[in-house]
Amino acid sequence: MYRTLISVLLAFAFTLLLVGLTFSASLDAAPDYRFINGTEPKTLDPHLATGEPENRIISALFEGLTRYDPKTLEAAPGVAERWTLSSDLKTYTFHLRKNAVWSNGRPITAADFIYSWKRVLDPALGGEYAYILFPVQFAEAYNAYKSYAEAIRGPLKAKLAALIEKNDSIDAARWQKFLAEADAHGPLKATEQKVLRDLLTFKQGSLNREQLNAFSQGLDLEAKLLLEKNAEARQKLGKTAGFMAPDEHTFVVELKAPTPYFLEITSFYPSMPVPRFVIEQPGNDSDWFTPKKIVSNGPFLLKTWNVNERIRLNKNSTYWGHAEVRTNALDVLPTEQLTTSLNMYLTGEADWLTNNLYPSDLVQDLRRRADFHSGPALTVYYYRFNNKKKPFNDVRVRHALNLAVDRKLIVERVLGLGQLPAVSFVPPGMLGYDSPPSKIGLDLALARELLAQAGFPGGQGFPEVGILYNTNETHKKIAEVIADQLKRNLGVAAKAYNQEWQSYISTVRGQGYDIARAAWVGDYSDPNTFLDMWVTNGGNNQTGFSSPIYDQLIAYAGNLEPFLANPEGLLAHLKEPAMIRQELEGARAGSVAQKSAAWGKIRMQLMREAESILVQDEFPIMPIYFYVNSDLVNPRLRGFYSELEFRDGKRAPNFKGIHPLRDIWVEKGQP
Amino acid sequence: MIEAITILVGFVIIASTAWLGPKSARIAAPLLLAGMLYIGGRAGWGQLTGVILAVGGGALAYFFAPLRVLRRVAFLVPSLVLLIYTTTLLMYRAPGNPFAGEKVADPQVEMALRAHYGVPKDATQFFFVYMHRLVVEGTLGPSIKVAGRSVEELIGPALPVSISIGLLALALACAIGLTLGVCAGLRPNSLADYGSMTLVLFGISLPNFVIGALFIIIFALKLGWLPVAGWGGYRHLIMPAFTLALPYAAYVARLARSGTLEVMQQDFIRTARAKGLPRNIIVLKHALKGSLLPVVSFLGPAAAGIMTGSFVVETLFGVPGIGQWFVKGAINRDYSVVLGTAIIYSGLITSFNLVVDLAYAWLDPRVRGTL
Repeated sequence: MYRTLISVLLAFAFTLLLVGLTFSASLDAAPDYRFINGTEPKTLDPHLATGEPENRIISALFEGLTRYDPKTLEAAPGVAERWTLSSDLKTYTFHLRKNAVWSNGRPITAADFIYSWKRVLDPALGGEYAYILFPVQFAEAYNAYKSYAEAIRGPLKAKLAALIEKNDSIDAARWQKFLAEADAHGPLKATEQKVLRDLLTFKQGSLNREQLNAFSQGLDLEAKLLLEKNAEARQKLGKTAGFMAPDEHTFVVELKAPTPYFLEITSFYPSMPVPRFVIEQPGNDSDWFTPKKIVSNGPFLLKTWNVNERIRLNKNSTYWGHAEVRTNALDVLPTEQLTTSLNMYLTGEADWLTNNLYPSDLVQDLRRRADFHSGPALTVYYYRFNNKKKPFNDVRVRHALNLAVDRKLIVERVLGLGQLPAVSFVPPGMLGYDSPPSKIGLDLALARELLAQAGFPGGQGFPEVGILYNTNETHKKIAEVIADQLKRNLGVAAKAYNQEWQSYISTVRGQGYDIARAAWVGDYSDPNTFLDMWVTNGGNNQTGFSSPIYDQLIAYAGNLEPFLANPEGLLAHLKEPAMIRQELEGARAGSVAQKSAAWGKIRMQLMREAESILVQDEFPIMPIYFYVNSDLVNPRLRGFYSELEFRDGKRAPNFKGIHPLRDIWVEKGQP
Repeated sequence: MIEAITILVGFVIIASTAWLGPKSARIAAPLLLAGMLYIGGRAGWGQLTGVILAVGGGALAYFFAPLRVLRRVAFLVPSLVLLIYTTTLLMYRAPGNPFAGEKVADPQVEMALRAHYGVPKDATQFFFVYMHRLVVEGTLGPSIKVAGRSVEELIGPALPVSISIGLLALALACAIGLTLGVCAGLRPNSLADYGSMTLVLFGISLPNFVIGALFIIIFALKLGWLPVAGWGGYRHLIMPAFTLALPYAAYVARLARSGTLEVMQQDFIRTARAKGLPRNIIVLKHALKGSLLPVVSFLGPAAAGIMTGSFVVETLFGVPGIGQWFVKGAINRDYSVVLGTAIIYSGLITSFNLVVDLAYAWLDPRVRGTL
């Protein structure tokens, strides 16, 4: 009896000893610091990844032409040690460093960038961030035109044929609905055929069969043109157009139009180079980034990747800037449970808790801590109005509804994460841009008056409003609070209802809603990423809002040349023309630097005018709040800038939430 | 319809292994065992090792293994195959598929992905692809949702983690449960009895995330003796093991108590007492084995459950075990991961049932004859 017991115990002890082998952490050297990164990264391939957790790690393993300066988030030299911009502001010439190498010693050349950019734009790869390179000449043609042509030739033509067969004529409203449901605007957005453009924006009256047939023929021609352009792009991209490598250490990029934020794109991970010599080996295409195979060029190397346990990054001594990297090793911890993450931070097992990874009910207590850093993020939460539907087609109604919502209450009571109430659409903090004064806010007296003027005094006669949101607890709470506020403040009956994501998308696209919840994340820190969605029939507009002046302003913000050629036409319609007039001189003549600066200011002013149409004149949407980034950071971690510091002393919030791991280190001797 | 018939036939085959005569069992089982060892050996260490393992294991089984064990082994292989088939059918029935919801508007891209991962649209086709990959290539397939990793790479490191916590939890459950249960059973209706059973009630009723959270608050946050979460040292084992163990300890205690009560009524115990044997010798030498019977039959499947980890405990303590792959695989519709974890689970259950049978025979001499 006892012998059996003892032998069982011995076997048990022996097994436990073996268990020690699973403790990989004890086999590695201790890291300088650990941080909690959120979910386990799905992939570390820069061209396929999406998501913040992947971004942090990929940006430590790889480096693009430029990188983010940690203090200002401006473009600092990365693989490219310097660059020049042509006088027409459309061509960048990057000079690559001679001592930039892959971690296996192979030098990085311009050919690596040619391969990588073609790979991210390859439609077969299916990378979601391919569009980030679309400012480059021929990039969109290479990536999307073939599928546009196929969409036109296939489903679009089929649906159009069905429509023509059933109808001799169709009125404008139904026509627009058909266009939305058939996804016509995407593939046709860049068409230069007048017949197509006119019919796409057809708003009044009705179309007869002849016009519909003309549209159909226009589609055939468009498909043909798209395919031709695509073939041209496939032939020329990387060799004679778009981006080229005149020699091993020079990389030339041709843009479609001057793009002031282009250097942000070259720091952003989808534009980072990948090792062709690893990826093209047989069997490597789906796991080339795993620790045994990966070759990278950034400040850190991927030493270990234990799924769901931790990722170890070690300093890369072949990195050109390795002298500036003050961290030898760090651990990335994937933790999904918010309470566990917070506890690990509080007990010192992690030194940095990244973006909002703590239970939201504790925010009030955490906000008081000295190590809690928060700041506005580049994301806006808002409601769309169906500008086409009565009574929302009346600007007074939209204005009244905007004035009747208490955003402060929502932000403080329902959310409590320190979000900012939003009365403009573009989040604050974009350098060089100030949102125009807004006529949105909380003003019940004016709201009631406007509603009465519109013919609904005290809310009488106002139809019941449906507030649509995609299924989610927080959206539900906010929708119910707003519905309640509209009832109490204006006497407008509103009901919140939800739909599954796919159905919700389809309802919004088809404009089958009254009011619908939405959110928009900025892809780069330029107001254009928030404003260009509201152009007439823009793919992401989906409200029916249309203003020719707005369209012009956005078009010129994309390409100033036609505006500079003839500014007066538009200036007459603007609210602050003087701000633009004073820059016109510098924009037309002057050095590249002066021109750049003047163009920049004019662009910003044009976009400010555009946003003023949204928040002073038309109110097609109801902005509600701006998201917030928050981090808990142990003071022994240095190099973490939650507020950007510029050389001239100006400060701005770090709204992109970018803290490059390259520049974070631990102060030795700190507890 | 065809699927239903196939499953029925499968069940018949499996059931028939129970009626295998000694001669056929002694031939069939070593063959099947050799087959499994060959696949496993080749996958882990190469062709040669696979062959050596297969021949060696098969010979050992043929010459030395008792019939009971052989029958179990013969049962294992067809049941695994049937399990894979049924699981595949069920997975394909579930709404959604691993490629839905991605930004795959292009049917061509989806077709390419399906070809790459070997996931055709038809369940039976997938079954054949999977079995072919398993037997011929010896791999459990690539994970569809975790880029660049095969299922073995995901489950492989996770299994020892779960098993180690499971072993410790099992030992704790037995130790705590048996002590409480036997003591309670020896003194029915006393304070010790009611006290133990109340503790047991708490153990059964409190959900494990509540117990775990309490442990974290007391030992990690307030006292600071143990780390909050994570994995990397023996200290990380302790709280998860206790949290996992307590509900099982409660069940073990109840079973041990009823087992003890029953055994102490037996005649041979009365004889022992009449002979004048001291109390602890009676309990330890004679009664314990009997009271362990219900515990052992409970522990068989329970051990399999403990070893495969608990999703809740692993998420709470940030342990990279296999429990999360059960749930994540199902939620993400990652077919290969689901099948991989199902195979491991069923393998563990079958093995533990075998161990339980053998333990029964050892504990209760009356059972030995039926071996």
